Amino acid sequence: MFHLTYIARELRRRLGRTILTSLGLALGVGLVIGIIGVSQGLNEAQANVLAPLKTVGTDILVTRVAGATPASTTGATTTTTATGNNNGAGQRGGGFFIGGAGGGPGGPNAAAVSQADLTALAQENSNVVTDLSKLGKPGEQFTHDFFLSATLISFPQEALDQVAKLPGVSSAVGGLVQLANHQTGTVPEIVANVQTGGETVDISPPTAAEQEQIRQCFESRRGQGGNATGGATAPAPAQGGTGNVQVGPDEGPGGAGGCLPERFQRFRTQQRTIQQAIDPPQTNITSTSYTAAGIDATQPKVGLVTNEQLTSGKWLSSNSANEVLANVAYANSKSLSVGGKIPINGTDYTIVGLVNPTLTGSTADLYFPLPKLQELASKAGRVTQVLVKADNAASVDKVAAAIKKILPDAEVVTTKSLATSVTGSLASAHDLAQNVGFAVAAIVLLAAFAIAALLTLSSISKRVREIGTLRAIGWSKGRVVKQLLGETMGIGVVGGVLGIVFGVALAAVVGITSPSLSATSGGVPGVGSSQLARQFGQTVATATSTHVKLSAPLKPSTLLLGIVFALVGGLLAGLIGSWRAARLAPSVALRDLG
Amino acid sequence: MTPTTTGDVLYDLVGVSRTYKTGGGDVHALVDADMVVEHGEFIAIEGPSGSGKSTLLQLLGALDKPTSGSLMFDSRDVGQFNDKELTGLRSRDIGFIFQAFNLIPTLTAAENVEAVMVPLNKDRDARRKRAAELLEKVGLGNRAEHLPSLLSGGEQQRVAIARAMANAPRVILADEPTGNLDSTTAEEVVNTLRSLSGELGTTVIVVTHAEDVAQHARRRIKLRDGHLLTEPRPERSGRLRGRPASE
Repeated sequence: MFHLTYIARELRRRLGRTILTSLGLALGVGLVIGIIGVSQGLNEAQANVLAPLKTVGTDILVTRVAGATPASTTGATTTTTATGNNNGAGQRGGGFFIGGAGGGPGGPNAAAVSQADLTALAQENSNVVTDLSKLGKPGEQFTHDFFLSATLISFPQEALDQVAKLPGVSSAVGGLVQLANHQTGTVPEIVANVQTGGETVDISPPTAAEQEQIRQCFESRRGQGGNATGGATAPAPAQGGTGNVQVGPDEGPGGAGGCLPERFQRFRTQQRTIQQAIDPPQTNITSTSYTAAGIDATQPKVGLVTNEQLTSGKWLSSNSANEVLANVAYANSKSLSVGGKIPINGTDYTIVGLVNPTLTGSTADLYFPLPKLQELASKAGRVTQVLVKADNAASVDKVAAAIKKILPDAEVVTTKSLATSVTGSLASAHDLAQNVGFAVAAIVLLAAFAIAALLTLSSISKRVREIGTLRAIGWSKGRVVKQLLGETMGIGVVGGVLGIVFGVALAAVVGITSPSLSATSGGVPGVGSSQLARQFGQTVATATSTHVKLSAPLKPSTLLLGIVFALVGGLLAGLIGSWRAARLAPSVALRDLG
Repeated sequence: MTPTTTGDVLYDLVGVSRTYKTGGGDVHALVDADMVVEHGEFIAIEGPSGSGKSTLLQLLGALDKPTSGSLMFDSRDVGQFNDKELTGLRSRDIGFIFQAFNLIPTLTAAENVEAVMVPLNKDRDARRKRAAELLEKVGLGNRAEHLPSLLSGGEQQRVAIARAMANAPRVILADEPTGNLDSTTAEEVVNTLRSLSGELGTTVIVVTHAEDVAQHARRRIKLRDGHLLTEPRPERSGRLRGRPASE
């Protein structure tokens, strides 16, 4: 009890020292709290970026991406494989589906994409090769949404079943991500005039032997009384395009034509294929793109988006409903809201809810019931994503390897590898906080401890007479140490409280300024995440990069840690001061004042 | 009063020397001192600066131990005490009064008196009551809650006397108790000290070079260059010292 009074008196009546020492500790503790807060904020931000895979309990994401390996940028100069000029189709508007089949992707860099991928891609996107004239008569207005897999190659449903059967797999859910191109404009007039014929065929005159033969023939016919009508000496070229052309007189019995040698009776013009280059029609077609994802409406807990990420409205009612969920970001940019209708190829889709999916790479702007999107995109029974959940964390790598084995072309990404592939300022800041931040915190804390210890030592040296007196009047070393420790611990408490105030203020400043950090996840292949996507003229920003606002959340444990640090500082200072005080001889009490 | 176990002798010093080792060689602060102090004595130790007064006081006050010789306190060999035992001895049996008063500056007058009772584990109420009584006795009943800085030198020294008395020690050791006081105040302080020790039968040993203080003493011990110049034993004239018969 007496010690408490004494401690309180000491702290209050030597306020300058108390404040100075505790401010030193507070500064250290406050900074540490702030740094821990920011670090936790960064952790949470990173967790958020990676959340979908984690929150939906997905351990492995299986996709197949053509040219996922980033191609060299010089590959932008492309070699067209079809006669149509497909480059920059998105910007030019309307053209890329006009070319011959297989001309969909406008010339990927051959070095970056294997032939197998190219073939798969060609098949994948073949359904979008559409004759614009089917949309209406030339000059009519049209609006149409084209869906294409872009660089994501779809799996048949069987692949999903195969994966689900693998040992160690708890569940496998499919998702379909499509790049949608919404086009409006006027149906162009596409005219291709192909003219053939009019060729002149040179025939060498009959030889003397042939003339003799012809003459004999005619004579013998004449002898039979037939009247030759077709005595043309040179057959006229036939009208027509290609193919065999019959020339010469009729083959009727007794016709003069029968007397001609074989080579005058029938001949072929040279066979050739007429190839006509058709430039894409320049009309007023404008196109906008968005990403569409198909999700299993019956599985709100797993998949590309989950009902946990629903920010308003409700979940899709069924797989057959004409309903969509809109990405909050997309809805905001397009002024869409719950209840709004989006007409797509003749059907109105109602927005029933807004979602906030956060996974980079696999986010979409609109989420359709899977069968609906499969129908829209002519991808019946196909998925582009397989989201796999393993039985337990330990088996993730094993399952991933097994999937890789049965689907050799697939890109298999585990959440673990995803975490290491996050780049951008978020990752930099995270690393910074992890490395530099904690080093700074440790240094600041040590400096604060050192300052507290030095101030305590200086205080002890000023209190030599007081300590000697206490010893002389019968206070033991232990009691003096207890007193001094009590004082510095008291300073530690004050410092801790002030430090928490500093830390909270620091966190608040971070929260108010909320610096924006970008996170790019290279690990999740998605629409628009590769070089090929750029070849399509599409950049889907939301698909690859996320911006997170940094905040510094302070948990009670962090604040407690701050108090503990301050107390440790007080304890250290007190121990050092006590060590000095305990070495003082009690006789210093008798020393004359200087 | 504390019963005397072995006669009237409180201190018995035989051949006590204290040598300090310094860079410039050994300093013989006290040499071969023989001295007996009986219960209830009021002794003045006199001598110029550097004569060994302070060294003798430290040895008597259990703040230090002799380099050689034996120092018996109440038949206990203080020279063999460890730090804990010395502390216990100071706490229970010795009261100190310092030239510079040495009050704890952050504690009130009453708390300063209480502080000396803390090691004896007296409960708070008992401590406060005792402190109030003693302050009343030294004439500072109305100054109990004042900080030392608000008290005059004489008042501070009277608080120190109250503090020295608090645990009813066997002996009060005073180091130049009036050195920092003017003569009038010094007179008051000495009178306070004398009357209290007389009343309680406490032995008082005062180190001083002030003649007027020394005159109050029944016995004066002179020191020069570390040597005692006086008879080690008090004159056997019991009437001058003994405790009041009533106690």
